[in-house]
Amino acid sequence: MIRFEQVGKRYPNGHVGLHELSFRVRRGEFLFVTGHSGAGKSTLLRLLLAMERPTTGKLLLAGQDLGTISNAQIPYLRRQIGVVFQNHQLLFDRTVFNNIALPLQILGLSKPEIAKRVDSALERVALSDKTDLYPGDLSTGQQQRVGIARAIVHRPALLLADEPTGNLDPRLAAEIMGVFEDINRLGTSVLIASHDLALIARMRHRMLTLQRGRLIGDGEAGV
Amino acid sequence: MSATRSPKVSERVAPKAADQQPKKKKRDDDDGPDFATLLRAWIESHRASLVDSLRRLGKQPIGSFFTCMVMAVALSLPMGLSLLLNNVERLGGSWQRAAQISLYLELSASPEQGESLREQIKGMPGVADAEYVGRDQALEEFQQQSGLGEALKELPENPLPGVVLVTPKEVDKPTLEALRQKLSELPKVQQAQLDLVWVERLAAILKLGDRFVFGLTVLLVSALLLVIGNTIRLHIENRRTEIEVIKLVGGTDSYVRRPFLYMGALYGFGAGVLSWGVLAFGLNWLNDAVVGLAGLYGSNFALAGVPVADGLSLLLGAVLLGYIGAWIAVARHLRELAPK
Repeated sequence: MIRFEQVGKRYPNGHVGLHELSFRVRRGEFLFVTGHSGAGKSTLLRLLLAMERPTTGKLLLAGQDLGTISNAQIPYLRRQIGVVFQNHQLLFDRTVFNNIALPLQILGLSKPEIAKRVDSALERVALSDKTDLYPGDLSTGQQQRVGIARAIVHRPALLLADEPTGNLDPRLAAEIMGVFEDINRLGTSVLIASHDLALIARMRHRMLTLQRGRLIGDGEAGV
Repeated sequence: MSATRSPKVSERVAPKAADQQPKKKKRDDDDGPDFATLLRAWIESHRASLVDSLRRLGKQPIGSFFTCMVMAVALSLPMGLSLLLNNVERLGGSWQRAAQISLYLELSASPEQGESLREQIKGMPGVADAEYVGRDQALEEFQQQSGLGEALKELPENPLPGVVLVTPKEVDKPTLEALRQKLSELPKVQQAQLDLVWVERLAAILKLGDRFVFGLTVLLVSALLLVIGNTIRLHIENRRTEIEVIKLVGGTDSYVRRPFLYMGALYGFGAGVLSWGVLAFGLNWLNDAVVGLAGLYGSNFALAGVPVADGLSLLLGAVLLGYIGAWIAVARHLRELAPK
């Protein structure tokens, strides 16, 4: 699914985000990326979303080389990915339904198909009764679940999450992680960037540890 | 790794209907939507963009109205001047038809010879009418018009020749010049005078007016593009987060651009309608004064309104300008809209 081969990222100001990173993620795998602030977690996610290009090495996602992908192809690549942000990135002037429907509207699906898929996604994150509310009417945990529903509604092959539990209390954080595991059980590869080691340890999935842009650990969390 | 089989990417990603991937890729008929579905999705996507743009304009009715009004003024100025010039050309044309060639006869020519000459000229090709003014009649008219009546009475004899006033059928200069030359060769004709200077001056003024209108149009169209561009830029700024999210979830540039293009076209349409109304009202308002002035000169001239064809062209031009202005604005800012 994902192949990093000696991938490096150096910014124009000279800062090195990643140093010759090499690892693979198999289809359907659940993976954590952890490390302190500045370790390179966000750079890694940005590379996977083609928001940045690697300066060295080769990065393959679902067979596509993200170092050479054309700008015109990037949107189509992103349609294979779902993204969950720490700050949710919801649109507050749209209802919960319309926030979640956005990726499907971009795909050009029919209204009935969109309604069916949004209902299904809302059911999966246990927010079926919030369809017509606005994000501002929801709690932080509920907003995060709306963000997750939007990330999975188009059935992506890969789900990326950047500190998805950063603003949540431990109970809500565990609940959100449960949602990610449910999604993973359906076959979606899940990659979560987080520095909540206690939470990661409880979940016993593969964990990559980054430090100053270098991979210093690759193994099962809590072992 | 989960033991669950993961479907292939092609099985998971929903059909790309609204924005087809540019990469040429053979699509299996079984896993892709048919043409009718694609078309419906495309139409639905455009309908949604149009409705969304209308809704956003409707949310700020006063702001939207004033933007349209500014654009309408910018459109009305060159269009209004152009319509006025057309009217002046129409007026000039009616005067031109009255252009005459004056044939001054020799002093020895008798009234009978003058009348005979008039008959001969009237039968010539290219001549619409001919009128003979005898020496006595010419003197009488001159006395009346010049105010030198008493002084002229002191002259020992009438110094004015008889004149044949020839009204030509054609009014273009080469034809008139050829006719003048032909008439000047007739017996008893001392001089044939073609007075087209005023027509030429009017044509020069109209040409200058055309250039002025063209220059003004270029300037105001540029201003209009700037107005549209700035308005769309503000809309883009207000929707920055939305655009970033759209791009992150797979929205193409054309998907991002679409609602802004509709917005630009809608601003243009509003401006076109307002401009048409302003011009129709303005010309009607001006017409009362023009009719009064023309009446003082014994003319029944009246300003023509905005012809429907011109109005429709104005409307189409305004929509196109709005669309182009929005396109330029979005193209300029699209690069800055990369997700952060």
